[in-house]
Amino acid sequence: MDPITEFAFNLNNGLLTYASLIINNDLIFLLIITALVLLIEKRDGKRAKIFSAIILSAVFVVLIKSFMMAERPCVSLGLEYCPESYSFPSMHATIAFTMMISFINKKSYWIFMIFALFVAFTRMVLAVHSFIDIAGALPVALITYYIIDVVGRSLYGKNRA
Amino acid sequence: MEKTELERQLLHMILGLLALAILLVFGRGILTGMMFFIVIIGLLLVNLTYLGKKTGIVELFVRRFERTNVPFPGWGSACYATGVLLVASFLTDPNVIAASIIILAIGDGIATLAGKAGRIRLPYNRKKTLEGTVAFFIASLPGYFFVGDIIIPIALIAAVVESLDLPLDDNVTIPVAITAVFLVIL
Repeated sequence: MDPITEFAFNLNNGLLTYASLIINNDLIFLLIITALVLLIEKRDGKRAKIFSAIILSAVFVVLIKSFMMAERPCVSLGLEYCPESYSFPSMHATIAFTMMISFINKKSYWIFMIFALFVAFTRMVLAVHSFIDIAGALPVALITYYIIDVVGRSLYGKNRA
Repeated sequence: MEKTELERQLLHMILGLLALAILLVFGRGILTGMMFFIVIIGLLLVNLTYLGKKTGIVELFVRRFERTNVPFPGWGSACYATGVLLVASFLTDPNVIAASIIILAIGDGIATLAGKAGRIRLPYNRKKTLEGTVAFFIASLPGYFFVGDIIIPIALIAAVVESLDLPLDDNVTIPVAITAVFLVIL
């Protein structure tokens, strides 16, 4: 385990662990993401772009996970909540980073940045991911959003961001 | 060739060599951590620039070294940092990461300089020159010192990808191609 993951995992803060377990629930996490996008972004076109980027990034993550087959840190620790899927890159972090990048030109960007970093941190608190899984999620999110942006502009001729 | 382009590519190569030095001295973990936080801070600065806030020295840096026809201020630097983060996080062998950084830093940098001075246009992409593509391949070969003979097909594939007229920026396609090929081959 790398020092950042070890630090996060050894924090032993009850509230943080509780929040991490809530975010660990896929359904709750997706509801939070959907609610944030719908609440903060009012334009239908931009909403469609964000959700398309999130879906495409999730597809990329599934493909990369099956190819890389990295074991989660929690497997060797024998933690009961440890998911059966592979580790690299983090799906939660990729989705949170994709949403963050979608708001790069908005005043609300910092909220999404803090949210994405918090989500990423909670994955290490639970040891379901190591720091490298989080770091790998960031380029996946950036490249995915860029692809959606390019495709969107070629189809609709809209401005970037 | 304009002076700014030369300065831009020299900076591109120096930063790449710096990333290589960090990898060789401190290891993959430190490089990945640094690149992760550089990208996060860089994105925050891009956001501040979007909002019209003053970012001081960063603004001067972007004005001096960035191209003008880019999606957002700091685009080139953001792509470069993302590319290094991609190879550092996806590839586990430090030697493979080192070879990839050489391709991204030296190969791409030299290709741009040689390409600007080149005369023979590629038949499938009139915006690029044969000299640039050949320079990319040759300048990527120092990666041999890290990964051996395998650098030849990798450099060739990267040079071809760089020369293609794709809708995506080559600052994005080259690191993706290098990472994908290394993952499949090794």
